[in-house]
Amino acid sequence: MRKYLYIFKTEIMSNLQYIFNILVGFIGFFIVLFIFLNLWNYMYDDPSQLINGYTKNQMIWYVIITEILWMTLEGRTYCKKICNDVRSGNIAYNINKPYNYILYSLSNHLGSVSIKFIVYIILGMIMGYIFMGSFPNLNILSILAILITGILATVISILLITFIGLCSFIIEDANPFYWLYSKFILILGTVFPIEYFPKTIQPILTFSPVYVVSYGPAKLFVDFNINNFISIIIAQIIYIIIGYFICSLMYKKGVRKLNVNGG
Amino acid sequence: MLMEVKNQLRVFGLSVKYALMREMLNKVTFITNILFMILNNACFIVQMLVLFSLKEDVGGYSFREMLLLWGMAAGTYGVSRFFFKNSFSLSDTINNGKLDAYLVQPKNVLISSITNEVETSAIGDIIYAYIMLFAYGFTIPRFILYTIFIICGGLILTSISVIFSSLSFWFSKSDAITERVNSIMIHFATYPDGIFKGIVKIILFTIIPVGLANYLPVRIIREFNINLFLIVIIVTILLIVISFIMFYKGLKKYSSSNLMIARM
Repeated sequence: MRKYLYIFKTEIMSNLQYIFNILVGFIGFFIVLFIFLNLWNYMYDDPSQLINGYTKNQMIWYVIITEILWMTLEGRTYCKKICNDVRSGNIAYNINKPYNYILYSLSNHLGSVSIKFIVYIILGMIMGYIFMGSFPNLNILSILAILITGILATVISILLITFIGLCSFIIEDANPFYWLYSKFILILGTVFPIEYFPKTIQPILTFSPVYVVSYGPAKLFVDFNINNFISIIIAQIIYIIIGYFICSLMYKKGVRKLNVNGG
Repeated sequence: MLMEVKNQLRVFGLSVKYALMREMLNKVTFITNILFMILNNACFIVQMLVLFSLKEDVGGYSFREMLLLWGMAAGTYGVSRFFFKNSFSLSDTINNGKLDAYLVQPKNVLISSITNEVETSAIGDIIYAYIMLFAYGFTIPRFILYTIFIICGGLILTSISVIFSSLSFWFSKSDAITERVNSIMIHFATYPDGIFKGIVKIILFTIIPVGLANYLPVRIIREFNINLFLIVIIVTILLIVISFIMFYKGLKKYSSSNLMIARM
């Protein structure tokens, strides 16, 4: 485990060199939130109005949290990296190294998104406060609980994207699968909470990755409830186990038929 | 002069043709990329369905008009990424001294450097754009207008990218800014201008010309207005001219990095 912590730490140190890029990247985050602020200002006739159980402020806070989780992830770049590792044969260099490729990729990417995650949380909270003038009613313990679910959500997202990237062992370019996965999460979990969808598909969404990677932490932030917290944590642990298992399976099957020409 | 333009267009056509042939080497990947991009774009219809279940219009746009706006956004993006893919990595080309290879060619340096690769998935964006036109209501005049606007919008996106990328000749870290400007254009293009007010609306029609690439064309297709049509055409030409001026002014500052690469 120590070696993965070391990889994580090294990646954090290297990313600290690019703090300017993180801050410029925040402009994109600001623009997305600004668009949603305008959109929900238009959709709500008055701030006290309830749409599917959410006030305007709750909807904007919901989007802030889901966007922090989504935009700090850099899933597209990460998926491209895994796909390229497989397609270019770079993955072969990892076979004889004394680490597990899945855990290496996980700790490496977690390290590269950590600084961004912290910066975006701080700036996102400041922006939310400027836009709405107040924070949701939360105490220290609930903030800690939300942070834990946020970190676990990122771990699950990385594992699921690793799996999609490793699909390059089967089809040459797995990036198009990532596009669909990203739209699935964006539309069904990031832009709208589950309650916005028809009652018939809500139970399906509760069992889908949407619940653990975006809806769960954001819902806790806008309306904290200990029962919800427990069910989200349990679902996240189950997803981490399944995610790690399917990644390992795909990796083992893939490297068995790996062919590297030249080098 | 005319002969030179004709020659340049021929080289541009050949460049795109050979880049496309390279991409088509793996047919499964080629087709998957296009189909998945169409599906990827279609996912946003769900978002619109949810929004329109809450209100009859979004920012003054009906459901059909939103489809048209989305089609326009996908089409302009598709044209810019398919024909001028490298304009979106021009900062990297300049910063890493990769322009050397184009400087020795007897053709226009800017056009050669931005047209030597194509983005396969952008074909999916262009097809999706026309599917949206059919969903809105197909007529021959609309088809012609739509095609003109998609090309103009694509050229506007490309010009903006070239203008900001050219800053790399003077400032080495401008690539992050270019990337942001490009993503801002895409983000705004998919939401109706009616939800924005005041200074933001002015910015969208000036500094970040999403309004000219997407909002105005949709308005013209809804109700034809010759003045607005001419504004879109003139602004497109103006931005192309500015992008050429910026690039060639910057090129005088360019110094090779002695980078040795193999181009295949």
